[in-house]
Amino acid sequence: MTKITIPIGPQHPALKEPLSFLLTVEGEQILDSALRIGYVHRGLERICQNRNYVQNVHVVERVCGICSHIHTTTYCQGVEALLGLQVPPRALYLRTLLCELERIHSHLLWLGVLAEYIGFTTIFMYAWRDREIVLDIMEELSGGRVAHAANVIGGVSIDADEAHVASILDRLDVLERQIKLFLDLIRRERSFQARTRGVGHLSAEQIRRYCVVGPAARASGVDVDLRRDAPYAAYKWLNFQVITAEEGDVWARTMVRVLETIESLHMCRQLLTELPAGPLTVRAPRRVPPGEVVSRTEAPRGELIYYIRSDGSDRPARVKIRTPTLTTLITLHDQLAGVHTADVPVVLAGVDLCIACADR
Amino acid sequence: MTEWLSVLFALLVFPGFGFLLACALAFQWIDRRVEARLQGRVGPPWFQPLADLIKLLAKEDVLPVGANEIACAALPMVSLAAVLTAALYIPVGGWVARTFEGDLIVVLFLLSIPALAYFLAGWLSVSVYSVVGGSRSLLQFFSYEVPFLMALSGPAILSGSWSISRIAAQQSQAVWLALVQPLGFLLALVGLIGKLKRSPFDIPKAKSEIVAGPLTEFSGRKLALWHLTMHIQMVVGIFLLVNLFLGGSDVGVTIPGVLIFGIKALFILLMLSVASALYARLRIDQLANIGWRVLAPLALAQMLATIWIGGG
Repeated sequence: MTKITIPIGPQHPALKEPLSFLLTVEGEQILDSALRIGYVHRGLERICQNRNYVQNVHVVERVCGICSHIHTTTYCQGVEALLGLQVPPRALYLRTLLCELERIHSHLLWLGVLAEYIGFTTIFMYAWRDREIVLDIMEELSGGRVAHAANVIGGVSIDADEAHVASILDRLDVLERQIKLFLDLIRRERSFQARTRGVGHLSAEQIRRYCVVGPAARASGVDVDLRRDAPYAAYKWLNFQVITAEEGDVWARTMVRVLETIESLHMCRQLLTELPAGPLTVRAPRRVPPGEVVSRTEAPRGELIYYIRSDGSDRPARVKIRTPTLTTLITLHDQLAGVHTADVPVVLAGVDLCIACADR
Repeated sequence: MTEWLSVLFALLVFPGFGFLLACALAFQWIDRRVEARLQGRVGPPWFQPLADLIKLLAKEDVLPVGANEIACAALPMVSLAAVLTAALYIPVGGWVARTFEGDLIVVLFLLSIPALAYFLAGWLSVSVYSVVGGSRSLLQFFSYEVPFLMALSGPAILSGSWSISRIAAQQSQAVWLALVQPLGFLLALVGLIGKLKRSPFDIPKAKSEIVAGPLTEFSGRKLALWHLTMHIQMVVGIFLLVNLFLGGSDVGVTIPGVLIFGIKALFILLMLSVASALYARLRIDQLANIGWRVLAPLALAQMLATIWIGGG
């Protein structure tokens, strides 16, 4: 049979963000794949060096269009560590609340994208419809559906009163019912399993070798989660489980993500019911003393690392961002080798790429 | 003179092009609406299918350099002509334009022409996506066509006739064949979904994998004709199943035949819409597996049982 080369991207219906693959295909089997990234490089790290610390909160918020809040959280956390600020507990709780709401929104969005890739439009529509509940809550809290501008250095700029907390708790119950429906479906629907089981398999050794993080690692049985391993913000006060699975395929990743969504809902309930009283911010000086810091958080896609170096001025000397997508991009070559062309979108969806994050 | 007029009327108005076009647009709208409601959406307004058709007809028609232009222009026309011709032999509401012993076979042959044209369109329009889509559509054709044909031969064997109108007429005196051969009816439905390349068997045109499959490079009038072919094929396929399995038009004496025929057709359309909302798209190797390991043996068993019962 003759070999043909199929280009996937930079523009392709299966890609929500620009990314390019050259697939060498024989019949319907993939022999080789070549990846190109960098189509949405915006030079954000350099821009950060030209702005002051306060302006940079809004710059790093634009790194990602899905998980914007976790970027500002990681950045603010780093700067607060450089300044030696003690952030008040109410601010930490609200910060964490948005982090978890964002995780729910990101995972539901991902579930919809996966469903659309495998031609299961109904789940796509349901997942994105129910995601609106979270988006509405976030909009009420911060004024923005995706870019919240909720974090400031030394605290948060949002607040919730008791009536609002009660109304959010009500809607979280509705959301939980819907997510349980998805869970039931993933466990039982055979056509869904036919498309996701055994596809995009990564063993625990491969995960460790490529330093894969987040749900993709946990779905292969590698138990890593910074929320438990190196608690930041309000996570040390929360009760939660880290979800893992053993299979290491797209189906396991789906299970891990959907179960994590339910776990996040529980965390949101804890955060809302135990919300401490107190101030929302502490005053932060404009100039940051010289020094360097590494700030790590668990983004919806895995460990997010910010390295910030200060030279004592009001602008950072360097901001380096390492996003979780970078680690999963490297595994794609292994995952795509030998699979069916029809499984390419499933593999791509399975690792939950965020190209805007990776390119910055 | 009057005979010519009646022929022209049959070709252009009823049950020819005009009627089928109206049905195709209506069915498409109902289908989209039902699926949208199942998915928690609102769905398009009633004139959307017509608006889509007019819009496509008015759009610029381009083909890539190197594509066979004559073939690419001829293929959608041939497919449309084939499904329109097939419709002439299918009774609608008890009225049929032409009928003879063996027209079922002719109809099945005519209905398989679009599938082959679809494959050729992919092969001739020089794009990797179309080539992959074309080869998938051929593989899919071989997977559903055999069980589909065997399932449809069930009613013919039981009725002892290969004429669609006669099979339909016989059922109105006895019982619907869908009740006698529920398995055959199900197989025919599955085969029809495969034939129409509807979800979950929309493998040759899976948009997240190969853009639009064989039709990736088509645009304007040619694409409009392709879409029209697919939608009229759906109408013809549904009418065929209504006649073969659900007793055609005349069941009740009090209700007019056309009305009862329409209700039955809507019932099958509803099943197609629900099926497309309920499942994920299969992979082509999975479909081939199901086709040959499950559907074909079941269809064969059904056919043998029918011959045994019908003959003995």
